[in-house]
This record gives sequence, C-alpha cells and structure tokens, in this order.
Amino acid sequence: MSKAMTVALGVLLLLLIAFPFLVNAYTVQVAITTITYSMLGMAFAFTLRVGLPRFDIPAWWGVGAYTTALLMKAGMSFWLTALIGGMIAIVLGALVFSLAIPRGMIPFLMIGMVLTMAFYQVYGAVPIFGGWGGIVGVPAPTIGSFEFIAKRDLYYMGLFFLGLNLAVYYFLFNSKIGRAWNAIGSSLRLARSVGIDVVKYRMANVLIGNFFLALAGSFFVGYYRAALPVVFGFQAALFVMIYLIIGGFTHSLTGPILGAIIATFIPEYFRFAKEYQSIVTSVVVILILMFLPLGILGWVDLRIKPWLYRRKWYARLSRWGVKEERKVSA
Amino acid sequence: MSLGLFFQLLANGLMSGGMYTLVASGLTLTLGVIKIFNFAQGQFYMLGAFLTFAVTVALGLPYPLAVLAALLSMALLGVLFYFGVIQKTMPQGFFSTLLVTVMFGMIVSQVSLLTFAYKERAIPAIFPGTLEIGEVSFNWGKLFVIVCAIVVMVALYYFMKTKIGTAMLAAAENSDVASLQGINAKQIFWVTMAVGCGLTGIAGAFVAPVMGAYLVMGQNIFLRALLVLMIGGMGSMSGALIAGFLVGIIESFAFQFVGYLNLIVILVFVGILMFFRPGGLLGQPLPVPGE
Repeated sequence: MSKAMTVALGVLLLLLIAFPFLVNAYTVQVAITTITYSMLGMAFAFTLRVGLPRFDIPAWWGVGAYTTALLMKAGMSFWLTALIGGMIAIVLGALVFSLAIPRGMIPFLMIGMVLTMAFYQVYGAVPIFGGWGGIVGVPAPTIGSFEFIAKRDLYYMGLFFLGLNLAVYYFLFNSKIGRAWNAIGSSLRLARSVGIDVVKYRMANVLIGNFFLALAGSFFVGYYRAALPVVFGFQAALFVMIYLIIGGFTHSLTGPILGAIIATFIPEYFRFAKEYQSIVTSVVVILILMFLPLGILGWVDLRIKPWLYRRKWYARLSRWGVKEERKVSA
Repeated sequence: MSLGLFFQLLANGLMSGGMYTLVASGLTLTLGVIKIFNFAQGQFYMLGAFLTFAVTVALGLPYPLAVLAALLSMALLGVLFYFGVIQKTMPQGFFSTLLVTVMFGMIVSQVSLLTFAYKERAIPAIFPGTLEIGEVSFNWGKLFVIVCAIVVMVALYYFMKTKIGTAMLAAAENSDVASLQGINAKQIFWVTMAVGCGLTGIAGAFVAPVMGAYLVMGQNIFLRALLVLMIGGMGSMSGALIAGFLVGIIESFAFQFVGYLNLIVILVFVGILMFFRPGGLLGQPLPVPGE
C-alpha cells in the first residue's frame, strides 16, 4: 500500500469518527440507516461473487432482528442475542441451503424468493412474533451500565459492526477461500476443472453472509427498538440491489457502501417532495442501468482513473512512499 | 363441509386461479421467449383494472370496450417500455433487465398512488345475481371470469399455433438458430412483450367487476404469479395453466381452514416441490449463464 493510500484511509477514518460532531442529530440518524443498508448490500455483493444472486436477504435480516427483539424483551444482553441470531441464521441457512445450493443458481434464487415471502408471512401471522404490529418497546443495548440511546453512540456501534463486517469480508477475499470464490464467480466449469468443490465453497460463502445479515438485523433492532414485519418484506430484497447498481457491481465492498450512502442521503434532501421521491430514485436507477451499467465506481475505473493517471501530479502522488518501485529503478 | 361451501370455495379458487394463470402465462411467455423477468407485470394488471373503471364508470362506455381498451393499451405500454428502456439494457444481461422492470414497476405504482390514492374503486357487476343449483349457489360474475380466463387461454393456444406464435416458440428454444431460419428476432421481442403485457391487462379488466380496482392488487397477484411460475415451471405455458388453477384452489381451500396463513401452505408446498423438481412440474431448469 502506498503512503498516499494510507494517509487517505487515515483521513477517511478520522472524518468518520468526527462525523457526528460535525452534523446535526438527524443526519446522524440517516447515517445509521445507511450503515444497516450498506451491510445488506455488502452481503448481496458477497454472495454475488460466487455467482448466486440473493433474494432472501430480508429473511435472514429478519431472523437477526426478531431474535434480538424477542430475547432482549426476555432480559438477555444485546451482544449475546446478536450472536445467537447469527447462529440461528447459520443453522437454518445450513438446513435450507444444503438442499438448494447443489441444484444451481435458479433454484437458489427461487428458494430465496420463497424464503422472503414465507418469513414475512410467518412474522406477520404467527402470534409469538407479535403479528403485523410487530414487537415494540425493545430495551436499548447496554455495555455494563452504559446505554446506547444517544444517536452518536448508536452511530459508533454501527461503525463498529460495519468495520467488523468489512474487515472479515476483506480478509476472506484476500485469502485462499476468496480466490476459490473468484474462480467460481468467473466460471463454474473452470472452477470445477481445477478441483474446487463448488457446493462447499458456495455454502461457506452463503452462511457467512447469513451471519452478517443477522448481525445487521440485530443492529437494526438495537437502534430502531422494534421489529416490524413490513420492514422485512419482498421490497427490501429488491432495494438492496439498487445500492449495488448505483455503487457498482464490480466493487464488492465499496460499491454497496457508496450506493447506500447515495440512495439514502440524496432522497433525504428531497423530503419536501416525498411523493415524488421513489419516482425520482427509480428513474435515476433506470438511467444508471442504461448508461452506466457498471455503476459509479465502474465508471470511475473506466473514465476517471485513466484521466488521472495521465496527470503528472497524480502519478507522483500515487508513487509516494512505494519502496519496491525505487529498487527496480535503481 | 357442506356441498354448498365446497362449490363456493371451488368457484373462488377457480376464479383467482384463472387470473393467476393469465398473469403467470404473460410472465412465463416473456421469460421463456425473450428471457426477461418482468417484475412490473403486477402493475400492468392493476392498471388494467383501473382502466376498466375509467372506461365503464367514468366514461360510461360498455364493458367489452373496456376489455379491449385494457388489452390494447397495456400491450402498447409494454411495447413502449420495451423500446424505451429494456432494449438498451438487454446487452448487459438478465439481471439488468430484471432490475429495470423492478424500477419501472415502482414508478408505475407510485404514479398510480398519486393518481388514484388508497381508495378502492367499485365497478358495477356485469352479470349480477347468482346461479342456484339445489343448495349450491354460484355468483354469475365469478363464473363469467372463469369462462373468460379459459377462453383467453384457448385463444392464446391458437395464437401460438400461428406463424408468429411458432416463431416465438422457436426463438424461445434457441434464438440464434431461429434467426438463422429467417425469423425476425427484433419483431419477436416486441410482439412477445405486447402479448405478455396484454394478457395481464385483460386479466385486470376481467377481475375488476368482481373484485373492484385497488392499488395493492398488482403486488398481490405478482407474488402469486411468481409461485405459479415456480410450481408450473419457468417458460412452460401448460405448466402455468395447471399451476395457476392449483394455486388458486389451494389458496381458497386453505383460507377456509387456516385463514391468512393460507399463503404459507402454498409456500411450504412450493418449497418442498423445489427440492424434488427444481424446474417445476412441467418445466426444465433454465440454462444459466456461466453454469
């Protein structure tokens, strides 16, 4: 990593930490929502790497949320419920997907849709889950005697979850298992021919995704303090993909985050025209699909970066602090 | 269960099953022939019902004219949608077109929310009264819907036998080979879109006098059509016919016993079926890009 990159990341991190002190409480609230949605988008992109599109994101998100809501109402600690929610998502996922994944992409996609619809119906119609009114009045998450109630504290908690999620995904992508996933994503036949057990690797990917989806659900309940079936409907499965389109399919980590930031913050500025919000969003997404099929980051890769590389100051900046290159020249 | 109740549930199931069949066959046609998963299909159904309301109640014109208007204008909207948006995103693959249809559906539903609001529009029944056979009574309106659905399916069957229908089936089988045989692929694309959307619009027009026109009807039927597709098999017309009536009947009878959990009964059924026949009852699993 070049020195410029390290400095840029450091500045970004400082900005993220200082963010709640620079803006009003409402913007922090929007940022918290953005964090949840970026986690969902990342899970979609994560599994898309092995060539499986997920339509079951709201289902597992809901598993985490309802586990946390139910157990916290019974007096359990937030952090424990988050872990239990993740475990439940993994176990249930293993049961369902051990039958679905060996059958290929289309059955996986359809089972995903069925799961989303079925979980939504179960949350709404089964009395333990509070019916269509959902579970409300969930206590705030705590560490010792410290309560996460202020928006700022919740923002830091979200940042912690997002950081954890990013770190795990980044580590996995750059490990041996990540290379196998890339092989599966680029060509299934090729991956099989070099002896990669496609089903096993896909299973691992989907279950890790499940865990983080449940974690996102727990965090959602942590700040929303309620779990409502409406949130986990079929629409959510479609919305997740919007973030990825805006950000860019090719960037599994940064794409969904950028997309979630754009798709959450910009509509907030159009609050005065709330009725037209979703129309504008939809039109923008259609235009992006028509004219920038790789999303914003893909467009940056394609158009902006080559332009920047031709500038002398950028070349000097990007070489700053890279030692290996000097050795080669010397 | 009394005989009267049994036939009542059967009639309800057949009526909604007929609608599911029409919408699902539009969906399966576009999916099978031109490989477009039209998520906006439900909204076309809703628009068809509202158009029927506009023509019969607001303009005071006869009902058959409303059916014709729903058929033609939805087909036209589908073609415009195809030429305006889908055509440009087709080269980027299956998911781009899928997402474009999702977004288009959202635009349509939001625009109709602003235009019609959450108010149910009642349309006067075309055939009021009931048919009494012994202790069993049937609503004429529902019977009319069932008959209409069957008539349209038969018409569709004969349409697929015509030259253009055969060309569509050939393109569904293998579009490259079809174009080598001199089939105009571009024409097939917009004709399929028109037929698929027109079928959905006409379904909306049929159901409007019985159920009225309301905003969420599009979403509701789309979810059912999705289930029909899963059961019947993607791209299979006869599968859509059988599965449509099957879903309608299961839903109607399950409602009698478990209330609003009836959808879960169907979902469990679909889930089990997916494991044993992932291609559905009559379909083959679609060829997947990259697999």
